Amino acid sequence: MIEFYPQIKAVHILCVLLSGGLFALRGLMAQTRLAGVAQGAPLRLLSYTIDTVLLTAALMLVSILPGALFANGWLTVKLILLLAYVALAMLAMKRVHAPRARMIFYVAALATYAWMLGVARMHHPLGWLHGWLA
Amino acid sequence: MSRTRKLWLGLAALLIASFGVLLWVGDQVHQYAPPLPQAVVTSGDETLFTGNDIELGKQVWQRIGGQQLGSIWGHGALLAPDWSADWLHREGVAMLELLARDEGAGSYAELDAPQQAALRSRVQRELRTNTWDPAKGTIYVSPLRAQAMLVVGAHYMSLFSNDPATAKLRETYAMRDNTIAELDQRRAVTAFFWWASWATAAERPGSAISYTQNWPHDTLAGNTPTSANFLWSVFSVLFLILGIGLLGWHHARQASHEPLPPIPARDPLTELKPTPSMKATAKYFWTVIGLFLVQILLGATTAHYQVEGQQAYGFALANYLPYALTRTWHTELAVLWIATAWLATGLYIAPLISGHEPKYQRLGVNFLWVCLLVIVVGSFAGQWMAVMDKMDLSKNFWFGHQGWEYVDLGRFWQIFLFIGLMLWLFLVGRALWPAMRGGKEGASIVGLLFLSTVAIGLLYGAGLMWGEHTHIAMVEYWRWWVVHLWVEGFFEVFATAVISYLFVRLGLLRVGTATTSVLFATIVFMAGGVLGTLHHLYFSGTTTAVIALGASFSALEVVPLALIGLEAWDTWKKQHAAPWMARYRWPIMFFVAVSFWNLVGAGLLGFLVNTPIALYFMQGLNLTAAHGHTALFGVYGMLGMGLMLFCLRGIKPQAEWREGWLKGSFWTLNLGLGLMAVLTLLPLGILQLKAVLEHGYWFARSAEFMDRPLIHMLVWMRVPGDTVFAIGAMLIAGFVASLWLWPKRQVAATPLPDAASESA
Repeated sequence: MIEFYPQIKAVHILCVLLSGGLFALRGLMAQTRLAGVAQGAPLRLLSYTIDTVLLTAALMLVSILPGALFANGWLTVKLILLLAYVALAMLAMKRVHAPRARMIFYVAALATYAWMLGVARMHHPLGWLHGWLA
Repeated sequence: MSRTRKLWLGLAALLIASFGVLLWVGDQVHQYAPPLPQAVVTSGDETLFTGNDIELGKQVWQRIGGQQLGSIWGHGALLAPDWSADWLHREGVAMLELLARDEGAGSYAELDAPQQAALRSRVQRELRTNTWDPAKGTIYVSPLRAQAMLVVGAHYMSLFSNDPATAKLRETYAMRDNTIAELDQRRAVTAFFWWASWATAAERPGSAISYTQNWPHDTLAGNTPTSANFLWSVFSVLFLILGIGLLGWHHARQASHEPLPPIPARDPLTELKPTPSMKATAKYFWTVIGLFLVQILLGATTAHYQVEGQQAYGFALANYLPYALTRTWHTELAVLWIATAWLATGLYIAPLISGHEPKYQRLGVNFLWVCLLVIVVGSFAGQWMAVMDKMDLSKNFWFGHQGWEYVDLGRFWQIFLFIGLMLWLFLVGRALWPAMRGGKEGASIVGLLFLSTVAIGLLYGAGLMWGEHTHIAMVEYWRWWVVHLWVEGFFEVFATAVISYLFVRLGLLRVGTATTSVLFATIVFMAGGVLGTLHHLYFSGTTTAVIALGASFSALEVVPLALIGLEAWDTWKKQHAAPWMARYRWPIMFFVAVSFWNLVGAGLLGFLVNTPIALYFMQGLNLTAAHGHTALFGVYGMLGMGLMLFCLRGIKPQAEWREGWLKGSFWTLNLGLGLMAVLTLLPLGILQLKAVLEHGYWFARSAEFMDRPLIHMLVWMRVPGDTVFAIGAMLIAGFVASLWLWPKRQVAATPLPDAASESA
């Protein structure tokens, strides 16, 4: 499978960007009168599809280079952040009724997402901070 | 004579005739099974193997998982080679190389084409000539063949040890290191594999066909499809078309213009209070959910072993839970949770039908549940100890791993399960009994239901018909009684009768109509179903009669599936028959899914691998897995889910259901199953089929083929489907849990619309 590593990684990154972009869009719509569209079947199913492909590619990458799991903990941190991101995103999208709280969760989810991007890019638990602190 | 009586007589005659022929075939299999020699001797009188070596090898092979790691004669796991096909090809190649060296060449490849052709002809003669001497109980082999056997034997001795030279191969085959720790046992396994491969090419006395009907396809051994194989495949298709035509004509002639019965104004079942024993079945359904979730996890792990043969994301999982075990448990749990759902349905519905709660029925239901748990835990523990080499070989047959796919549990646990089924039969029978006495209305359909419970109870007994030392051809014969007749035959009768009876109780079907249609349906699928068992046995050391009967009758099994749309439409309509039927929307949707997968999984994908000529090339490839997954879960799994939901509706009659969870579960389970077949199993199977046709069966199962990046990529493509499927499973698990853990507040009975009241 190592032969396909660059392509799988490209698919993974593409899905990460699509997934984050779609969440940013849907989250924004959820704050407005377009909340119904944001929760509508087309956008929801698109989101599920992207996330399923993203997960598949992620598992393939870990299987090809399992050492990443044990390197310096960056992947473990990313997985923990992923759980936090999912929880915050759910709260931002539908679990919380108060608009202000929803907005806070939305921003927090986006911040977590940005941190995850940094962790993945820098291969370090501190993410972007590692680059700045180094 | 009434129509019902005629149908009963027809069914009785059909079953007597079908089982008579099936038993006759069993006698034929016994008489003409490939002979087990007392010794395998070189022409120089040196004994290579004894009969005891071969027998010991079979037992060791069973202990390490048997058909759950590679396969023999095409039956078993898809990963690791078919050992009989692999040995046959390796032995042929070894002989070619030895002969080439005799000719003074460095290797066979260096020879020119005419020289190669001459050597291939010689090797083919070596493999096909039957040198079995029945008087002495000996198989003789030439010095050339004996030398080739040593070469292949050395390869297997290395493969089953922890020799670094074959480490990569073990990883590709998903074998743990030191699969067989003891040297003598490793050697014995080579004897068994050799004998199994010998039977695939050695021609039956007085015939030009091998003991396994020339299976596996390998031109080096002269193994190509027989003329009977081709002829009966053609007839099989003709019988299918004829059957569809006749059944279509019957449906057109019998098109019922009988009006529906008066639809009740209220759900008749809401007035029924579940009895203590009916309520006690709830724990069976919790168990169903638990086993289902574990089965999915084991399925994902088993699939993952195809890309990381000994590990899971870097963790050395094979040291604790090797492929042979995850696959064993995955396949066994499939049968166990589905069977548990159906057993629970029987226990739930029997007092519902008769309105009679026998004394101590609840105690019996609870006791049986404990027994089932003990059987699952005990048999799995024994299998773990066997495969991990922590159980003495002498105890393996009774408490360890029998190595026969779907009936892998040790004999002790098999007997225990059989006793459990007898207890189930007793509990269902005593509760049903009042409904069958005195010619009450509906007694016939209840009788059929009871007959199917008797058959389910007794037919598992076929799994006890073989012993520790029984010939593999006979074990296969009886094993398919269990897998085909038990699971696919009488559970089907049971399900058809149960579903029809449920609709009768709901007032949506007249009892007379239900009785005749259930009896007729039973006759139709039993007409093909009983002798259709033989389509599993085409190449298991059987004779041409098996091909003829199997091909003809298993084609008839597909006939009712081709017209299943009629049944699906009928079922679909029932959810709109009355406003209160909305309560049963999701059980009915699962029943409609059963029809869909009956058409696709059992009908289309089943017939794809059904004819002898198709199975000759496709047996043990991912195409059979595509049929297996879509038919076993698609049909029987969905049926189990539907029955479970129906019973839960009655156990918790006032609970408001979280319909959204069920809707999500229904669609994701179906979509996930479809994706699994379309993205992985079918394309992988088609690539394997191409490999069989172009190179031979051995190649399609070889490491060289299975370790290709494209194959790995296709295996990875299971993740989207499996993920979606797992979400469906978790949703239905959450739904069931929610009924007890956080039930929605009870709602008042829905007022009836005027129109509904008028129609009533």
